[in-house]
Amino acid sequence: MAWRIGVDSGGTFTDVCLFDDATGRVAVWKVSSTPADPSEGIARGVAEGLAEVGAAAADVGYFGHGTTVATNALIQHRGVKTGLITTDGFRDLLEIGRQKRPDLYDMQADKPPTLVSRDLRLEVAERLRHDGSVEIPLDEAAVRRAVRRLREAGVEAVAICFLYGFVRSDHEQTAARILAEEFPAAFASISHAVAPEFREFERLSTTVVNAYLGPIMRRYIGRLAERLTALGLTATPHLTQSNGGVIGFEQAARLPVRTVLSGPSTGVVGAQAIGRAVGFADLIAFDMGGTSTDVALLAGGACRLTGEAVVHGYPIKAPMLDIHTVGAGGGSIAFVDNGGLLKVGPRSAGADPGPVCYAKGNDEATVTDANVVLGTLNPAFLLGGRMPVRHDLAVAAIDRLAAVVGMERMATASGILSVVTANMARAIRVISVQRGHDPRDYTLMAFGGAGPLHAARLARELEIRRILVPRTPGILCAMGLLLTDLRADFAVTRLAVLAPAALDGLRAAFATLDTMAAEWFAAEGIAPADRAIARTVDMRYAGQNYELPIAVPDGPIDAATLPVLAERFAEAHRRLYGFVAEEDPVQLVTFRVEASGAVPKATFAAQPDAGPDAAGALIGTRAVWLAETGGFVSCPVYDRDRLRSGNCFAGPAIVEQMDATTVVPPGWTARVEPFLNLLLEVA
Amino acid sequence: MIEIDPIATEVIGSALSSIVEEMGEALIKASHSTNIKERRDCSTALFDLDGNTLCQAEHIPVHLGSFLGLIAHIRKRHNQADIRPGDVFCGNDAYEGGGTHLPDIVLAEPIFVDGAMTAWAVNLAHHADFADRGHAHIYQEGLRIPPIRLYKAGVLQTDVQELILLNCQVPKERLSDFRAQMAANRLGVQRFQALCGKYGRATILAAGAALLDYAERKMRAGIAAIPDGVYRFADRYDCPEIDGEMDLSCEITVRGDAMHLHFEAPPQVRAGLNMTMTALLSTVYYAIKMVVDPTILPNAGLARPLTVSAPEGSIVNCVHPAAVNGRLSLCQRIVDLILGALAEAVPDRVIAACNGACFSITFAGHQPADNRLWVYLETIGGGSGARFNKDGLDGVHVHMTNTSNLPVEALELEYPLTLMRYELVDGSGGAGQYRGGMAIRRVYRANHDCRVRVDGARLLSPPWGLFGGLPGGRAGIAVHGGAQAFVRGNGALRAGETIEVVTGGSGGYGPPAARAPAAITRDIAEGAIDAAVARAVYGPAIGS
Repeated sequence: MAWRIGVDSGGTFTDVCLFDDATGRVAVWKVSSTPADPSEGIARGVAEGLAEVGAAAADVGYFGHGTTVATNALIQHRGVKTGLITTDGFRDLLEIGRQKRPDLYDMQADKPPTLVSRDLRLEVAERLRHDGSVEIPLDEAAVRRAVRRLREAGVEAVAICFLYGFVRSDHEQTAARILAEEFPAAFASISHAVAPEFREFERLSTTVVNAYLGPIMRRYIGRLAERLTALGLTATPHLTQSNGGVIGFEQAARLPVRTVLSGPSTGVVGAQAIGRAVGFADLIAFDMGGTSTDVALLAGGACRLTGEAVVHGYPIKAPMLDIHTVGAGGGSIAFVDNGGLLKVGPRSAGADPGPVCYAKGNDEATVTDANVVLGTLNPAFLLGGRMPVRHDLAVAAIDRLAAVVGMERMATASGILSVVTANMARAIRVISVQRGHDPRDYTLMAFGGAGPLHAARLARELEIRRILVPRTPGILCAMGLLLTDLRADFAVTRLAVLAPAALDGLRAAFATLDTMAAEWFAAEGIAPADRAIARTVDMRYAGQNYELPIAVPDGPIDAATLPVLAERFAEAHRRLYGFVAEEDPVQLVTFRVEASGAVPKATFAAQPDAGPDAAGALIGTRAVWLAETGGFVSCPVYDRDRLRSGNCFAGPAIVEQMDATTVVPPGWTARVEPFLNLLLEVA
Repeated sequence: MIEIDPIATEVIGSALSSIVEEMGEALIKASHSTNIKERRDCSTALFDLDGNTLCQAEHIPVHLGSFLGLIAHIRKRHNQADIRPGDVFCGNDAYEGGGTHLPDIVLAEPIFVDGAMTAWAVNLAHHADFADRGHAHIYQEGLRIPPIRLYKAGVLQTDVQELILLNCQVPKERLSDFRAQMAANRLGVQRFQALCGKYGRATILAAGAALLDYAERKMRAGIAAIPDGVYRFADRYDCPEIDGEMDLSCEITVRGDAMHLHFEAPPQVRAGLNMTMTALLSTVYYAIKMVVDPTILPNAGLARPLTVSAPEGSIVNCVHPAAVNGRLSLCQRIVDLILGALAEAVPDRVIAACNGACFSITFAGHQPADNRLWVYLETIGGGSGARFNKDGLDGVHVHMTNTSNLPVEALELEYPLTLMRYELVDGSGGAGQYRGGMAIRRVYRANHDCRVRVDGARLLSPPWGLFGGLPGGRAGIAVHGGAQAFVRGNGALRAGETIEVVTGGSGGYGPPAARAPAAITRDIAEGAIDAAVARAVYGPAIGS
């Protein structure tokens, strides 16, 4: 049982990362994805990858998987026909939402399509009050009629969401029982089980998205499990959730809404694990690909969890890593708008036709073309020689743009990078300064195909002084899957004022959550020694509407807990908003438990120090146009694969490897640390 | 002035946007009143010393010009040489502070760089207070605050603050919201100073000027694409505050890359519906930006190609002491007028009439537990007009506003109200090749006695369609459960009584005969139109 496998299945490629526990060997296998049925490509990739390293399927002890199946079904609106049963008077809430239009000035903008059509949104008489008391009892006969109507209409999934279902769940439970009796084949999504939290529209939206994706994920997971079994795999397969942790396939099939950010979250986990190995706890993960860039901040080794986000237009209440995405990538197109300013993105040439220099039909300059012209990217070929590059076409495209802005060719190419860097810096400010963190205190972890190429400019823009480029920046997501713990989050909303009278409620809420966590530990078969629990409570001043997550001290909850919470809240509020309202009562809102089960993870061995001399990796020189000098400078080019632990060199320099290029600007030094990650620092 | 290239301008513009966005986030998240924290009725901006908006993060378009005149009024009243770091000016007046109505309280803090005053950090928050008052003239509508110092060199002027708070019904909320506004400006000052530290003060100022020029160029390019000509449109206005209807009209002259808009309207009235010139300018900037190019930066440059006129002392250009609190519904109708006029010139860049109002409902009462005064204001969306190529949006805020609703589960927790229904109104979207968006019905039950005021419009004339599209549904207000009928939008509810507000729908676009049969079938299945009505409008073959 020596091998561990991580599979990241993206739109273009499926990356399979294999790790041999016994020898520490890492192997990577890339196959084309099969978007119609991603499980096909995965099975092929796993089979080929195992053959490549000479292992049998039965030797695999762990299988982790990150998927975009749920995200894609949501983006492309390919979920199932879904019905909704809700409180009388509120069936249109799903469509009205917060009654805002999607764009202030663009009259062509549309709201995302409502996932349940109006004729399939059925109301039943029932009403709870905010304190959980019953104003109108549930009309069970009406529920039964509604379920039958939905069954006859041919829905595959049914969402049930009542006002205050998070305070008191018995109306929803009764409706769920009737649904199971009348229509057992339907995928059931019940609000108190999916997102037992305050604010009806966001809870409703989450419950509906979960229903809409449910049968899709159930089928996908079923097919994949079948194929893996057919290969002879005996390990329990796991899937990444948006919170960065993995869960078993069974759980994932029940709560697909928790996997919508499965893909990007694995990259963050990879960054976190490498940061831990190297000893950097405060990181900004910067994952720049072909069309978009994902950024996340890790403070003290942990990425902030957010309980709610708008994903592809739909509000979702589920624990998600706080990842911010911006439409900036290597394929982003540069253009001059009708006001004469240079803009870059969000339109992208993607991988096909790709940048102008790929000569596949695109003639609009992209970020990659600017890099080719500047010489920061290899002007002859990319991907280790697999992709020839037409330098002349890139030059012509930049020249066309330069003529419009009235600037020199090289200043224009460099300007494209300045503009895209500014866009990415804005995204990083959202997750750092807007959350009360100074980016200058952080190390920039650059990965993705284009991350290491742009990291230095971005660092300078944000005054960051240290960059870490992982050994294999192109496959960090697949790698992350080998380093992830099992994880589930449980939450319950119980509004209370922070005062001695709240103690019983606080204890009761956490007792409920602890029970749920214990059941999950048992279901996942996690040994007691591997179990860990972290408790937080979302707090605010009475009257505010945004809460701050505050860690609850470990150990029993007693009278001493309350002042600790008050103090931690005041500190967090002051850091974020600059003031403390001492006279205002503080409220406890949502109680959360994060349960994690340690899995044996891939561990990487430190390499012996080979000394500072990097000459063995020097493969040539090339003229690179540097913004610092405003002209071409001859730069040494190093082969990443030949760099050894301890090697040092000064910028300007270029480091090439199959899936990425790293720029070391003048005034910076690069050093290979013992795990073969490249560390760039201001000299 | 130093030279600045298009790339540096874009990069610095990006940084300025970051600053105002961050100010906005801080304001919303740290505030206490539901109107700001949940409904985001606030805006943040950076101004240059001449009072030009450099960059703004507006959450609702009426704020686009809502502090246009503020800096000018500060300068009129205060000698710039006496302004110190840490001074914070506070103001709200429609006549002496550049505002558009009294609840929008603005805080402005000068930004000093290397000892020199360089710019202003400004934010506006709609304080839901000054409720249950009269609207015969502005003196009834709340406390008028000219731009005066709330902080002097960083020191709170407690006597000024106490004067303001004593005039508010919910002073505790006001105090908390002021703190949030202070926090937002502090951030703006620090970030702007840091930006100057990085690029140099002169570069930032040059980029600011270049960004204004940039917005102007885009505006001119957009106007130049509209055929030259004179375009006219007329409509009627009604609201609960007045009897009958008022005539409104506009004449738009497009010549080359400039545009002049002239409006005719009746003399100002003793009611809260009047608009100041500032409000009229905001409305015009919004409407023209929307028609011409939605991506134009919201800064002062976009105003340069536009001139606006209207009779002084009329409801669309009122003078002291006209009441202005409910100006927004009239602003909405001015947008409709502009779009109606431009339909002839650019039919694919306008939409049919929207719900034509900003319905607002304000409750005021005493909390049963401690007899404390409570005030709750919310606005209700409606239909958004059909477009040249697709149906209008159902149940949204349109044009000059875009505030969020308050979740039912938050509303009922904070106030003694129960929301009985919140739904789209069947049949309210005007028929046509493309259907108008549907209205909203919201039904509230008072759980304790309270006073209520409803503002709105389109109770008499329906929102019109374009090019053969039919009008949408009219608005309506009704009370149930034995409640006394409201007078001029004012009334009271006793415990257990309910009030039902139905907003306007919106007009259709293109003749009904051109509507795709599948779309009609879907409308009928979804209840957007009654089957019998559909047969009458779209032909007897429908639904058979």
